[in-house]
Amino acid sequence: MDSYAAIVLAAGEGNRLRPLTRYRPKPMLPAGTKPILEHVFDALVDAGIDELVAVVGYRSTRVQSHFGPTYRNVPITYVSQEKQLGTGHALLAAESAVDGTCLVINGDQIVDTRIIRDTISGHEADASATLALLQRPSVEAYGGVILEDGHVTNIVENPHDDQDYVLNAGVYIIEPAVFDAVRASEPTAGEHHLVDGLSALVDTGETVNGVVSEGIWADATYPWDLLDVSFELFDAGIVDGDRPPADHRDSNVHPSAVIREPVVIDRDCVIGPGAVVGPYVCLGENATVGSNAVVEESVIDADTRLGANATAIECVTGIGVTIGAGSTVSGGPGDVRVRDRIFEDESLGALLADRAHDDGGVTYVPGSIVGPDVAVKPGTTVRGTIPEGTEVWS
Amino acid sequence: MCGIIGYTPAQTDPNILDVLLDGLSGLEYRGYDSAGVAIADSSLSVYKRNGELSELEAAVPDRPVNGQAGIGHTRWSTHGPPTDENAHPHTDCNGSVAVVHNGIIENYRDLREELEAAGHEFESETDTEVVPHLIETSLEQGADAETAFRRAVDRLEGNFAVAAVCSDIEGVLAARHRSPLVLGIGDDGYHLASDVPAFLDHTDRVVYLQDGQFAKICPSGIEITDESGAVVDMPVKTVEWDPEEAGKSGYDHYMRKEINEQPRAIRNCLRGRLSEIDRAVSIDEIDDLERPERVQLISCGTSYHASLYAARLFRDRGIPASAFHASEYDADAIPIDDETLVIAVTQSGETADTLGALRDANRWGAETLAVTNVVGSSVSREADHAMYIRAGPEISVAATKTFASQQAALAMLSSALTGECSRGFVEDLRALPDQIQSILDRSRAEEVARDYIDSDAYFFIGRGYGAPVALEGALKMKEITYKHAEGFPAGELKHGPLALVSERTPVFAIISGASNQEKMIGNVEEVASRKAPVIAVTDSPAAVEHHVDDLLRIPETRPQLLPILANVQLQLVSYWVANQLGRSIDKPRNLAKSVTVE
Repeated sequence: MDSYAAIVLAAGEGNRLRPLTRYRPKPMLPAGTKPILEHVFDALVDAGIDELVAVVGYRSTRVQSHFGPTYRNVPITYVSQEKQLGTGHALLAAESAVDGTCLVINGDQIVDTRIIRDTISGHEADASATLALLQRPSVEAYGGVILEDGHVTNIVENPHDDQDYVLNAGVYIIEPAVFDAVRASEPTAGEHHLVDGLSALVDTGETVNGVVSEGIWADATYPWDLLDVSFELFDAGIVDGDRPPADHRDSNVHPSAVIREPVVIDRDCVIGPGAVVGPYVCLGENATVGSNAVVEESVIDADTRLGANATAIECVTGIGVTIGAGSTVSGGPGDVRVRDRIFEDESLGALLADRAHDDGGVTYVPGSIVGPDVAVKPGTTVRGTIPEGTEVWS
Repeated sequence: MCGIIGYTPAQTDPNILDVLLDGLSGLEYRGYDSAGVAIADSSLSVYKRNGELSELEAAVPDRPVNGQAGIGHTRWSTHGPPTDENAHPHTDCNGSVAVVHNGIIENYRDLREELEAAGHEFESETDTEVVPHLIETSLEQGADAETAFRRAVDRLEGNFAVAAVCSDIEGVLAARHRSPLVLGIGDDGYHLASDVPAFLDHTDRVVYLQDGQFAKICPSGIEITDESGAVVDMPVKTVEWDPEEAGKSGYDHYMRKEINEQPRAIRNCLRGRLSEIDRAVSIDEIDDLERPERVQLISCGTSYHASLYAARLFRDRGIPASAFHASEYDADAIPIDDETLVIAVTQSGETADTLGALRDANRWGAETLAVTNVVGSSVSREADHAMYIRAGPEISVAATKTFASQQAALAMLSSALTGECSRGFVEDLRALPDQIQSILDRSRAEEVARDYIDSDAYFFIGRGYGAPVALEGALKMKEITYKHAEGFPAGELKHGPLALVSERTPVFAIISGASNQEKMIGNVEEVASRKAPVIAVTDSPAAVEHHVDDLLRIPETRPQLLPILANVQLQLVSYWVANQLGRSIDKPRNLAKSVTVE
């Protein structure tokens, strides 16, 4: 099999995931206990990619500091996209870092190695590009592709008609002609899109192929989707595939604590006496679960601290969050407000963004969204959306 | 202070020059005012240039140079100014022996006079050049190359590591005498170097040479012999450092990369050493060390500031402790006994001043402990015990993450040795990585640097645990911006330095919300009334903000850990000032990363 360089698009914020993206881009949000981008890099390296080109922009230092100059001995070149003017613009930023045929992939969606292998092996010499595609019941939120005999005949973003679309998985093998096509395509709303370039190639009669894969693919559009993405990884066996249960030893787990699998516990975690962790819980690096605290169906990111007797069910936290002693996140369903939209009955107990902090005895009404650096005083009931830096008194 | 390398490919290698140049770039942090290589085949080819390594890279031929063995050198001048002539390697009169050397040959004047009297002609002002001429002398008397090399080294006095190639032998000859030298066993050949990063791309299997040992690396393998010539079997060790950490990963400077690596460095430093459930700190590698009666810390530069911090921690926990400049330690003549623990703090573990002081302490009968970043370094082998700070390699000459890790390690050490450890202390240590990350995420240091870029001088003041970090803030500013900067314990200002304060001298004040706050605000008022702009680095902005012109916020923590956080803001201010002034941030003029001369 040929070995390609991979251009990984990791420059966008992913603003629908605010407030979790306040200090890091969507690719650095957790799936399990690792950033989404790390799963993408794993899939690429497992598929034999021997060069990574990461296009970074929004909060780029978080990507650079996490991965450094290589990942699993594969060198990473960082390319800076100062303004995020679309995937095509990002691709062009990386043009000088690659030669000839290369792979392009979104760095903010979970893609397993099978999809990447299928795309690489499906790429034929006469094709200008080959797209990875997935059969999904609904493609409305994503890119839809019409495929005839393995050839792409039409690409439509967010299609609403009832044609037989397959979903664009955001993995492409491209020939150098694609750079020119992207450059030549008209920007839409000021942004250059990779698919516009591909559409232009289809329109001019170039061969653009699609490969339908049955690999695992998952995307988080809204913050509560991070729960489902991690749970899918548990069910697919990806999350603890390379982390045997023995990994728990590295942490400080009190013998009387109960771990109900599936659970993934990253390094340096502390789990106090009588705590119950799981099922379906991801504890990021250096997280702390206090005595008799209960965590279920939650993604708890690094350095977060749950006080004694705290309860966290269907809870998503950012980094360095404190849920104080006796505070309760009792689980969904709840109505969630994201800017001017209300999402009803979502399975979200509460979302607490980076370094939100409660002093204990706080009750979170299901669907609460707590911004970064919010400080909640004891005995408060939190509901709705609390903006960054607010102090909440009872 | 220099770096040397040697390489022998398993087969004649047309890329030998590239291997040597790559190796030198891995050692550039040790000095960089000139560089050179010599390649031996049927004859010797020597290329050397004054200036940075890029000057040498431009001077070597584009075509492949075949060779059976090569040596290289980056130089930081001690004898003779940086010039092409003074750059290593140095050769004999016939151009058939080339030598590189790190350290100082103390008796070189005598040797040179003797050699010149015998008709040898010298081209440079260096101490090193005596070595090839000494080898030449023995060769002319009919000795083989190895014997000639051994005889030459026997004549040298001082601290040195030397390596030589000769045109008629396969391989590189080397000797170590109180300067670091390590051998690397690769799949395609054998390496030697002053430090591991020189060949980490090729192998992680190493042999640390001991003082007095000779080594020969040749296509068939390595041979290590002692002073008498007897073959010695030395253990092969695997180094755990990841060569990947040697790249800049998209940053403009290693310094910025290393500043941003601090959360991870601190995680590594703390890992496995804290138990929040048992309220304990335990450091495996020194668990046989008991509570000392007295502590003395010896160190230089940034490590000295970490030592001042640690001395205060020990004293807080009831152990009399002081920090000493390693270079002044013998002159200080401090009373010492076998109840005294002497702690040598050095990032590289090769700092000559610190090693000298450590040897004094060993000789005077103290129990000794090395706190260092480099496993297998000289200090870790010469001290009775060693604790590692686990910061990973630091390339930038200005120490950043290793200072943070030194402080975290010393904070744990003071707790482990005294058994004093509250749950809150462990909690606060575990909070450090994220607290540092939060500073990195939203520091206003770049803005502050821009606002005060046109200043005459920068002053840094603090009290208690804030005092050592004030000194460190000033040192960082000096090192990389070349601006005048001074740090003072805040109370000392009015006893002299206040005369320097004006509206063109911003003052950075480190203010803890939990300790000495009123006194610090008093000191702030002193300088503010002389119209100096004041920038507070503080975890209690509400109490401070109406007294100062600017704020650099840090997360709330206990006074003992405040300097670790405050320092991150100060590092960033210095970085951005230097950046806006266009300084050579990773390699400031006249400085070297680890200083192996006294």
